[in-house]
Amino acid sequence: MTEIHTMPIAEPVLEVRGLSAGYGKRAVVHEVDLTVRAGEIRVLLGHNGAGKTTLVRTVFGLLRPTSGTVRYRGEDITRRRCADNVKAGIALVPQGHGIFRSLTVRENLELGAYTAQDPAEIRVNRDAVMDLFPILRERAGQIAGTMSGGQQQMLAMGMALMHRPDVMILDEPSIGLAPNLVQRVMEAIAEVNRTLRMAVLMVEQNVVHALPIAQSVTVLRTGRKIYEGPPEPLGDRQYLMTLF
Amino acid sequence: MDLLIQLTLNGLFNGAHFALLAMGFALIFGTTGVVHFAYGPVYAVGAYAIWALAVLVGLPFWAAVLLGVALTAALGVGCYLFIYRPFEISGSPPFVVLVASLGLFIVMKNLIGIVFGTGVKTVDSVAYDVHFVGNAFFTTVQLGQVAAALLVGCGIALFLRASRYGKAIRAMADNREMATVIGIDTTRLSILVFALGSAVSAVAGSLVLLRDGLNPNMGFGAVFVAFVAVIVGGVGSLRGAVIAAFLLAFVQSLGMWQIPTEWQNTIVFVVLFGFLLARPSGIVRRA
Repeated sequence: MTEIHTMPIAEPVLEVRGLSAGYGKRAVVHEVDLTVRAGEIRVLLGHNGAGKTTLVRTVFGLLRPTSGTVRYRGEDITRRRCADNVKAGIALVPQGHGIFRSLTVRENLELGAYTAQDPAEIRVNRDAVMDLFPILRERAGQIAGTMSGGQQQMLAMGMALMHRPDVMILDEPSIGLAPNLVQRVMEAIAEVNRTLRMAVLMVEQNVVHALPIAQSVTVLRTGRKIYEGPPEPLGDRQYLMTLF
Repeated sequence: MDLLIQLTLNGLFNGAHFALLAMGFALIFGTTGVVHFAYGPVYAVGAYAIWALAVLVGLPFWAAVLLGVALTAALGVGCYLFIYRPFEISGSPPFVVLVASLGLFIVMKNLIGIVFGTGVKTVDSVAYDVHFVGNAFFTTVQLGQVAAALLVGCGIALFLRASRYGKAIRAMADNREMATVIGIDTTRLSILVFALGSAVSAVAGSLVLLRDGLNPNMGFGAVFVAFVAVIVGGVGSLRGAVIAAFLLAFVQSLGMWQIPTEWQNTIVFVVLFGFLLARPSGIVRRA
C-alpha cells in the first residue's frame, strides 16, 4: 500500500504488530496491528466483547500476549512489566474506577507519580494537573470514593498524567457517565492531547461522543481489525452499521 | 466489685495483646488478600525462638526478642515466597491458597511439638513487679503489653499515613490492579507486609512468653482472635481491627463473670455472628 502525504507524518509512539492475546486457552484478540503516532488521538471502537480491553491491557503489560510484538518509541516492550512501562512513559486509565476510593484526592494524585523520585517535580506536576482539572484542587482533601462519577474519572486521568506520560491509554472513559459528563470528559481528553501534545489511545463504545475528538480510528470485531483510517467515513451512519 | 475491676483490667491487657495480633494479621490480609492461617504458628514459632534464644542460648532477654522478631519476620516472608506466591503466579483461586494455608498451619504446629515438646515453656530470668488496685492486680508485663500495642499501633499508623511505602500499601489494599497500573511492585509490598505483620506478632509473642508461657497450640487461638477482629473491625481498616480486638477481649473477660472459661472461644464466635448479621462490613466501613 502506498500513500502520498502532503504533511510529514509524526513518528509512531506505540506499534503493535500481529498481537494475539486471551485468557487461558480462550483467544480474544487475533493478530491485530495498531499504531499510535506522536500527538494523535486514536480511538479503538468495537462492540462489547470485541477484544478492545484485552488488546490495550496486553499492550500495557497487564496481560501476556500469546504472540506478536509491542514497540514503544521503537523499543520492544512485549512482556515487559507494567512498572517499567509506567516509568518509560506509558499510562493506563483502566475501565471503571481507576482510582483508590478510600484515599484522598491528593494521595491519589501523589500515587499517580509513584515511579517518580523528585518531590519538587511531583509538586509541579500536581499543580499542572490541578490547573487542568480545578475540581481536583477544590476537593484535594476529600476521600476519592465520595466524589461523583465524573469527578472520579477526572481524578483517574489526573493520576495518569502525574508522571508526564508520552502516551495515555484510556479504557472506556465514558462508561457509567451521564451524557453531558461524557461530553466534558471528551473535551478534557482533547485538551490534554492538545496542550501536552500527548498521544492518546482511547477505547470507546460511545461512537457519537468519541468520533469528534478522534484523529484516527481502529475498529475491532470479534478480536480482529476490520477498519483502520480517518474518523470521517464512520460519521456516515450507513457505513458504520456495516462495520458493527 | 474487686472481681469486676479484675475482669476489666484483664480485658484491657488481653485487648492490647489481641490488638497486636490483629494489627499484624490485618496488615497481611488487608494488603495481600491471603487468609494467612499459618500466621498463628508463625507467631508461635517466633515466641519459641525467643524462648530458645533466651533460655537455651542464654542471650539477654532484649537481645532474644530483637533476634526473634527478625527471625519471625523472615519466617513470614518465607511463607509468602515459598507457599503463597507460587499459587498467586499460577492464578489459583483464593480457596486453594486457603487450603495451602491450613496445611501450613498443621505442619508448623506439629513441628513445634516435635522440636520443643508439648510442655509449657517459661522464662524465669526476667523479674517483674505486681501492682495492686484494691484487691485486683496486674503485672509490669501486662503494662508492657499495653505500651507495646500503643507504640506499634502509632508506629504503623504513622508509617501507613506518611511514608511512600505506607501509602503504596494502602493503595494496594484498596485496589490491587490499580496499584499495578501506577507501577507499584505488588510482590515487593507483599514481602514487606508479611515481614512487618509477622514481626508485630513476635512482639506479642515475647510478652505472652513472660505472662503465660508457651505451648504448641497457642497459634490457633491467636490467629482465630486476629481473624475475627479483622472481620468484625472491617476488612482493610487497622483502626477497626484494634477496636474489635479490645471489644472481643472485654466481652471475653467480662463474660467470665458468669460463664465458665472453656466457653471463651464460643463468646468470640457469638460476637462474630452478631456482627456478620447486623453489620457485615464491620465497625469501620470503607468508602
